[in-house]
Amino acid sequence: MANETTQQPPAANPNEPTANAKKYAWALPPAKTAILSQRVERVDGPAKVSGTARYTYDIHRPGMLWARAVRSPHPHAKIVDIDLSAAKKAPGVRAVLAWRDPGAEVMYQGDVVAAVAADSEDHARDAARLVNVTYETLPFSVREATSMDAATPKIFPNGNTRPGQTAEAGDLAAGFKAAAHIVEATYDTQVITHVCLESHGAVCEWNGDKLTAWVSTQGVHATRQQLAGALKIPEANVRVICEYMGGGFGSKVSADAAVVIPARLALMTGTPVKLMLDRKEEHLDSGNRPSAFSKIRAGVTADGKCVAFDAQTWGTGGAGQGAQFPLPYIYQFANRKRSHLDVYINAGNQRPMRAPGHPQGCFATEVLMDELADLVKMEPIEFRLKNLPPTAPDAMWAEYYKIGAKKFGWNKRHATGDGGKGHLKKGMGVSACQWGGGGRAGNAHIDIFADGSVVVKCGTQDLGTGTRTVVGGVAADTLGIPLSMVKAEIGDTLLPFAGVSGGSTATAGITPAIRIAAGRAKDAFLARVGAATGIDPAKLTIANGRVQGGGKSLSWKAACKHLGQEPISIDNAWEPGLSSVNTSGVQFAEVTVDTDTGIVKVDRVLAIQDCGLVINKLLAESQVYGGVISSINFALFEDRILDRRTGQMVNPNMEHYLLASMQDIPPVEVMLMNMPERGVIGIGEPPTVPTASAIANAVRNATGVTIRSLPLHPHRVLAALEAHKAGRNA
Amino acid sequence: MKAFAYVSPATAQDALAALKAGGIVRPLAGGQDLLARMKDYVETADTLVNVKQALDSTVTPAAGGLRIGAAVTLDALSRNAQVLRLYPALAEAAGKVGSPQIRHQGTVGGNLNQRPRCWYFRQEEFVCFKKGGNRCFSVDGENQYNAIFGNDGPSKIVHASSLAVPCVAYGARFVIAGPNGEREVPAAEYFTLPTMQNVKKENILGDDELLTHVVLPAPGRIRSGHYEVRFKESRDWPMAFATVVVTTRGGVVDSARVVLGAVAPTPWRSEAAERALVGKPLNAASAEAAAEAAVVGAKPLSQNAYKIQITKTAVTRAILDAAGLKA
Amino acid sequence: MAQHDDESAVSRRDFFKSVGVGGLATGVLAATEAAPQAAPGAVGPGAVPVRLTINGRPYNLHIEPRVTLLDAVRDHALLTGNKRVCDRGTCGACTMIVDGHTVYACSTLAIETVGKKIRTVDGLAKDGQLHKVQEAFCDRDAMMCGFCTPGFVMATVALLEKFPSPTPTQIRHELNGNVCRCGTFNRVLEAAHQAAGVQHG
Repeated sequence: MANETTQQPPAANPNEPTANAKKYAWALPPAKTAILSQRVERVDGPAKVSGTARYTYDIHRPGMLWARAVRSPHPHAKIVDIDLSAAKKAPGVRAVLAWRDPGAEVMYQGDVVAAVAADSEDHARDAARLVNVTYETLPFSVREATSMDAATPKIFPNGNTRPGQTAEAGDLAAGFKAAAHIVEATYDTQVITHVCLESHGAVCEWNGDKLTAWVSTQGVHATRQQLAGALKIPEANVRVICEYMGGGFGSKVSADAAVVIPARLALMTGTPVKLMLDRKEEHLDSGNRPSAFSKIRAGVTADGKCVAFDAQTWGTGGAGQGAQFPLPYIYQFANRKRSHLDVYINAGNQRPMRAPGHPQGCFATEVLMDELADLVKMEPIEFRLKNLPPTAPDAMWAEYYKIGAKKFGWNKRHATGDGGKGHLKKGMGVSACQWGGGGRAGNAHIDIFADGSVVVKCGTQDLGTGTRTVVGGVAADTLGIPLSMVKAEIGDTLLPFAGVSGGSTATAGITPAIRIAAGRAKDAFLARVGAATGIDPAKLTIANGRVQGGGKSLSWKAACKHLGQEPISIDNAWEPGLSSVNTSGVQFAEVTVDTDTGIVKVDRVLAIQDCGLVINKLLAESQVYGGVISSINFALFEDRILDRRTGQMVNPNMEHYLLASMQDIPPVEVMLMNMPERGVIGIGEPPTVPTASAIANAVRNATGVTIRSLPLHPHRVLAALEAHKAGRNA
Repeated sequence: MKAFAYVSPATAQDALAALKAGGIVRPLAGGQDLLARMKDYVETADTLVNVKQALDSTVTPAAGGLRIGAAVTLDALSRNAQVLRLYPALAEAAGKVGSPQIRHQGTVGGNLNQRPRCWYFRQEEFVCFKKGGNRCFSVDGENQYNAIFGNDGPSKIVHASSLAVPCVAYGARFVIAGPNGEREVPAAEYFTLPTMQNVKKENILGDDELLTHVVLPAPGRIRSGHYEVRFKESRDWPMAFATVVVTTRGGVVDSARVVLGAVAPTPWRSEAAERALVGKPLNAASAEAAAEAAVVGAKPLSQNAYKIQITKTAVTRAILDAAGLKA
Repeated sequence: MAQHDDESAVSRRDFFKSVGVGGLATGVLAATEAAPQAAPGAVGPGAVPVRLTINGRPYNLHIEPRVTLLDAVRDHALLTGNKRVCDRGTCGACTMIVDGHTVYACSTLAIETVGKKIRTVDGLAKDGQLHKVQEAFCDRDAMMCGFCTPGFVMATVALLEKFPSPTPTQIRHELNGNVCRCGTFNRVLEAAHQAAGVQHG
């Protein structure tokens, strides 16, 4: 079978729609689509609800061993010695592995030092506890302020902090001169961890010099490349499989120690090895969202124009990673300056977490906007309308604010602080988001067989976004047959290359290739059917699984019989013209604050979000619900807490690392703004950006107290209320 | 968990005998706390004795009150018609513990014997006084969930049991079985404030003893109220709570018990709050006065001063609950 | 003892006031290897036969007493429907129904469920036909990554068996022991209402 992908002449404009993209363009309203933009049930729903969906954690291979990592309990230490002798002799142990050398430094609690493989998980755990590591503890820092203090000794190889670029525009001095009101305040958000329900890990099995790895990953192809590199073996010898995964949120985009360790142990033992992290390890060493501090001085003119913005920002991404975020976020300050400092602390490294940087920048900016609005005595939405970028298809906040205000009953919002009598105060807040999305990496292959079966292959991943259904749905819609007749195969490096499912780029990355491949497959199919039946292919159509035209009507199966021995087999790569970038959205939140306890309850949320062409309304809505809830957790509950004296995490579990239960979740209303003419863009991340900010603004509206720090734990809310009463809060 | 032997005796006598086996022997009731502690190596055992068959799992009328077996599940307790009618605060406390799954297996005895949730206690790396170490990490540490009363001793934990507070408020007695027979102690005397000698435990129960019953006295003409300040309604513990049990005569309180939870290493009885109620009608004004009295003498740590406010809220709302008034 | 009307009484055990001390020697606590003198009738710590009845079928396992019900089902009976997430009884992903009640299987020893009726998500569908709760979850898209889904499904099944006509409050209440990280709570609630035949909203 040919593996020819279409060759397009290089375009002067890399976004110029290709001939294929034009030929197989998305059907736009008022054209009717059977699947696209409709609410179509997830094809893997039955597998998930019946427990037959197999995740990496569920994989059992014949003779499989269990691995367990040994990790540093210290935030910073030099490894003096790793004694594996007792572990080696422990019951059931088949291999032990030193992961670091004596003399190496561990830089955070949870840093991997060694690993063992044994015939049962209990034996592996027992053995891991017998690994005797001698450490020389070293000075450490687990607070940004400590690392930023010049008196703190150098802990990190290139210094405890790293300045970023300073960005400037306009004339800051003139801006402040023109300002009638100025706000000077510091805003901050906390470090949170991804808490993927399925932890990180892999099952690795060698067959001669070929490695098969079942990995909980957002990128099977990327993982293959990285794993091969780490093991110094040809990429061609590695197969990575991930048919189902229990969450990623950005933390599973690369092959980390959790993947390489079982590969090495499997090589040592000659048997398959499974390593899955436990919950504590997940909190310590599989990524997090960096903290973000913004010291802002901002000015607004008497008539409500944002005119000056001067910010110094900093944050920590752990022991070796940065903490950047966009600022100011969305709203336009003509004169601005922003300098940033990455701060290192002895804690696990950050990894991209759902809309990296945006929730942090959004929070600081949106709370500031409400403060500025009150100073010029303008209603918060009106104030925002005055300072938004010009309306454009990818900048629709003005319209969404107006739609949302009506739907939410925004006119019932009282003035800031006038939350009513009694201890229960209600308030409303708003916030906006933007996100790039887009995506240019995805190849697809489609086969139509003589028995009527159809398979679409794409080496992409489904982290719960519904990609499998998107893959099948686009193909089925293009062909004109029901979704149930199309099998979608994903999650395997044996399938055509696709990029990492990250940045909300997967759908835009793969659907153009699937669309075009299915379109070309349909044309080729009709040509063959036409030739076999003597009907002009141009007269043939396919709809609802029936091939009609030239006076004939055939079922799909009957038509497929004409294919004989050779299936229709088409490959296509991504091509520009069916996707684009940049989305916008707004959210409204209403809260009740109990001022006698500091407890904030979210009463309801409205989310208005666009994403270009909505491929599947049911799935896209679920993404919005999911993003909103994620942001509620960020606003109210989650916090990665390190003990200030020992540097160790005090809450590496799901008891003290708080996450919402059913009763903490408010009704959420979702309004998707379908823009088919913009092509596919992406929706995974934007909905998680603004909710926390809208909640913070609602709390401010309810109580009259500006809380510029997340999370909104009761003790922090009470402290803010108390400080305000004592006149300590501007 | 470290590997252990397992036995499930049929009678309490056999269970007590099993506790005397060699090595570290622990009773296993609902397992909702013990197994987690063992997985985190905060606790190890050589033998677990499943006491669910051996202990009483019934609620029986007794001398006008109730006799509650230690193996009664929290779910059963929360739905028991007599408990709901006579000791509603106890039913309410049981019904709010954890989650449905926890309540289906967690037992009365297990909840009363629940060990602290203090995150230093629960993490193996922090070798605190309770684990044979020589410090309490909450001092000058992340102590937002630690004690504001009774915290002069070596440990600053708050007691974790939701049932303990209403038990003390209702004047319950605990029946303890041991190698030398049975004894009864008032609930208030079961729980111990930490000293250097007893810091490794939170109560008087010996390693060779079992808590077998909670005996509640005849209620008489009491009215009770209960309020838990909970950030999350489920899968969490209250940050402060209170049970109030009063009798009234001629429209005013003539006796009162005000007991606070999640503020001290034991259920914390506030006699000052009780004095503030006696002779007063049950209303918002007396509730607030009692709440103010309840927090006098609180000694917050560096991060938990907010507990003073929420303790006042818990007391106020528990009293209003007893009065049948809305908060 | 007087009769009582408590439905939850499993059994009634009489308690003897005086207990004779059994003839048990207090064994010396050995370091790691040999078990100290065990209580009479004790089994383990090594592997022992444990017969579990899961979804109506017997499974003759050979496991150590420390193996949880969750790990016994997943790694020994090889029924991988229910998931391990927190392993501490704090998230609900491992929710199974044992003798009619939802439990955190991670916080239950397999050996203490001998003789009990264990139901897992793996046995819910009958002859390829999904349970009405499973159907409702699919209809409402009450799942995303799906890792919390088996636990929520079992919690919802148990809810409807306990309360055939549940109120919205009872529905929320009985699902309070399960966590979703992807954020499917709203649709899980809708699915539960649909399966219960109750208007939502």
